Amino acid sequence: MNNILVSGNFLAILGASVAALAGIGSAIGVGIAGQAAAGVVAEDPKKFGSTLILQALPGTQGIYGLLVAFIILNKIGLLGGSMAELSAVQGGLFLAAALPIGVVGIISAIHQGKVAASGIMLIGKRPEEIAKAMVYAAMVETYAVLALLISFLMINGIAI
Amino acid sequence: MKKISTIGLSSIKSSLIKELMDLGVVEISAQDSKLTDPEWISYVKKDGNEVEVLDCDAKISKISEVLNSLEKYDKSKKPMFFTRKSISSKDFENAISDLSKTEENVAKVLEMNKSFNELSSEENKIETAILSLKPWASYEIPLELTETKYTSIFTGVVPNIVDVEKLKSDLREKTDRCIANLVGSDKDQHYFSIICLIKEKDDVYEILKQYGFNTVAFKDLKGTAAQNIVQYENNLKEISENKSKVEKNITDYVPYKEQIQLFYDYLVIERDKNKILGNLLNTDSTFYIEGWIPEVSKEQIENVLNKHQCWFEIYEPEEGEQTPIAMQNNSFTQPFEAITELYSLPSSSNIDPTPYMAPFYCLFFGLMLADVGYGLIMAAATYMVLKKFKLEGSIQKLMRVFFYCGISTAFWGVMFGSWFGDAIPAAAKLLFNSDFTVKPLWLNPMEEPMTLLIVSFVFGIIHLFTGMAVKAHILIRDGNPLDALFDIGFWYGLIIGLILLLFGNTVIPGSGQIGKWMSIIFALGLVLTQGRAKKNIAGKLISGVLSLYNITSYLSDVLSYSRLLALGLATGVVSSVMSILGSMGGRNVFGILLFVVVMIIGHTFNFAINALGAFVHAARLQYVEFFGKFYEGGGEPFKPFTKKTKYNRIIKEEI
Repeated sequence: MNNILVSGNFLAILGASVAALAGIGSAIGVGIAGQAAAGVVAEDPKKFGSTLILQALPGTQGIYGLLVAFIILNKIGLLGGSMAELSAVQGGLFLAAALPIGVVGIISAIHQGKVAASGIMLIGKRPEEIAKAMVYAAMVETYAVLALLISFLMINGIAI
Repeated sequence: MKKISTIGLSSIKSSLIKELMDLGVVEISAQDSKLTDPEWISYVKKDGNEVEVLDCDAKISKISEVLNSLEKYDKSKKPMFFTRKSISSKDFENAISDLSKTEENVAKVLEMNKSFNELSSEENKIETAILSLKPWASYEIPLELTETKYTSIFTGVVPNIVDVEKLKSDLREKTDRCIANLVGSDKDQHYFSIICLIKEKDDVYEILKQYGFNTVAFKDLKGTAAQNIVQYENNLKEISENKSKVEKNITDYVPYKEQIQLFYDYLVIERDKNKILGNLLNTDSTFYIEGWIPEVSKEQIENVLNKHQCWFEIYEPEEGEQTPIAMQNNSFTQPFEAITELYSLPSSSNIDPTPYMAPFYCLFFGLMLADVGYGLIMAAATYMVLKKFKLEGSIQKLMRVFFYCGISTAFWGVMFGSWFGDAIPAAAKLLFNSDFTVKPLWLNPMEEPMTLLIVSFVFGIIHLFTGMAVKAHILIRDGNPLDALFDIGFWYGLIIGLILLLFGNTVIPGSGQIGKWMSIIFALGLVLTQGRAKKNIAGKLISGVLSLYNITSYLSDVLSYSRLLALGLATGVVSSVMSILGSMGGRNVFGILLFVVVMIIGHTFNFAINALGAFVHAARLQYVEFFGKFYEGGGEPFKPFTKKTKYNRIIKEEI
């Protein structure tokens, strides 16, 4: 038990878990946007489609997190059934590589959710401006995309 | 856009207005400024027919109420997209020649709507009455009985928190000739009936009041509460029968819907004809129209005006005057106008960005979704929708945008070897245990992400350079070629120089040296020219040096294109997650079934979320990175005076 913290495999799986935690942010973000959407749809049920699109936007961080977690699991062979024996350093590298999407994912999704909620308010008043609302939300997502990219490149570079 | 002014005799006014409306190429602008201009005001007055407009509007709102209620009872299957029916102008004329029957139908449906609403409100009233009687259902004394010769009988409520036993014992202490019956309780209140001697009523009341007692009186009700409830429920049944009768009657009018829609459109046309008069100026026997026409329609309009023997003048707008914007593009770029419109129309001093943006939008969307299956489904679905429905306006444009984007998606799918992700190899593995793989035509982004990242940056640089070229084009068009050289040309030089300096040697040995000198020369050029607006030498130099800081903004712009790789990867990886999940059942009937179900649900989800992502991020790259280099929005759309019918598209037959 004492040496679990220096087990490479444990650290790698911890890395995958950290990446998947980005879903926390998405859950909060989608939740915030959903509340706003319900308010707008109460006024005008026809806006369901356009509010749903905006509500979906903060959901991508969760997918990015899943994606990175999956790449890690795939790379260490957990999904194939035979897990590679990893040194503590290798495992630590996976954990480090998972941090960007795990941390940035949570925070950016929450803020994207807030922007999406405001965007939903915007289309409540001016339904024709949905593209602008979407672009505002996409501005926040940029940083999740960058984090995904850097996590991916790091994991891709770790030699087993 | 050209400006047009015309003067004609009042006698031909209505026939000219009708013809201009049929043509639908003139925007007739309001002339309020002339009405305050002393030079004009002595001759002209505002035309208009507001009474008629209000009259039409009132009718229109009634008819739309009728159409809404008919829509509700129309049980026929609704098409996925609303489209206007096509009707020839001759048929339209015929249809509206006799409207008395339609008007009658409209009146009848309105009448029925009214009685339906009355029944509904009656229903509501009774329902509330029942609710308020429900707690008294077990109270057996007739409600109208409030007094006998010696006793007073009354009912009331106390708050739920009151201790009932204590209340009763208090009463008993006061007098033993009083009965307080607890009829019922709910979460808010206790319901009491009290019988006491008339002469003691005040004393009893005094005690009850300490407990927050409120009398409840039943006005005009006879018999017990339970009897009343039964009576009410019978009423409700009757009302709901009447309601369904009325509903059925309204349903009988559903077949007249099309006729009523024609009537609606006819009224809209009449309303607009009268409304536009408000933009005309009149003298005693002539009228004056001013407006905008697109250049291509010049000849058409000249013919019409000559036929009506009007005086007219078609001329260029004044320098700097804001003109309405009508974008004109070829058949490939035209649908992408929808993307531009979603941002903002170009201001009249700027340029229509659509033709420059369209190929990049298509390319980026394809790169970010990059799957043959998704692309083909998108292209086929939009193609079928476009064939089946006569869509109009921006929804039609968006459909065509998605058609082109679907083709681009399929193209990049072939390049990256993604056919519903890795569904085909996964299926082959599951069914036949073979190691069959689909070879990408170019590269597999999962295996060579760095190559694709560099390609993304190269696309980004090309995109940004195109934007800068458009800016240079605008500057040169407006007669500022030096600005174009300093602001765009030097930056081109510096950026290319820096790229060569940093990466040149790995591609062409020795080009790094060229890059170094290019960077130095163009950086010096920028330092010397970017402060040219400042007055003194120090200011010029400081602004010049500070302008080099812009290199960071170019850097962040280019880095932003890394999303092309990242979103492309997201599609691919989620697909392979699906394949792995689907293959978990193993090679048996259950496993294959699981595979099929997971594939269908998973890919639907993946497609939906990633197509949305590709749409949004492709738009963002245009709006933020590309438009940021040159674009200026805020133009007013060209709104020609035309038939803005809602349900029927009136087609003018060729003569």
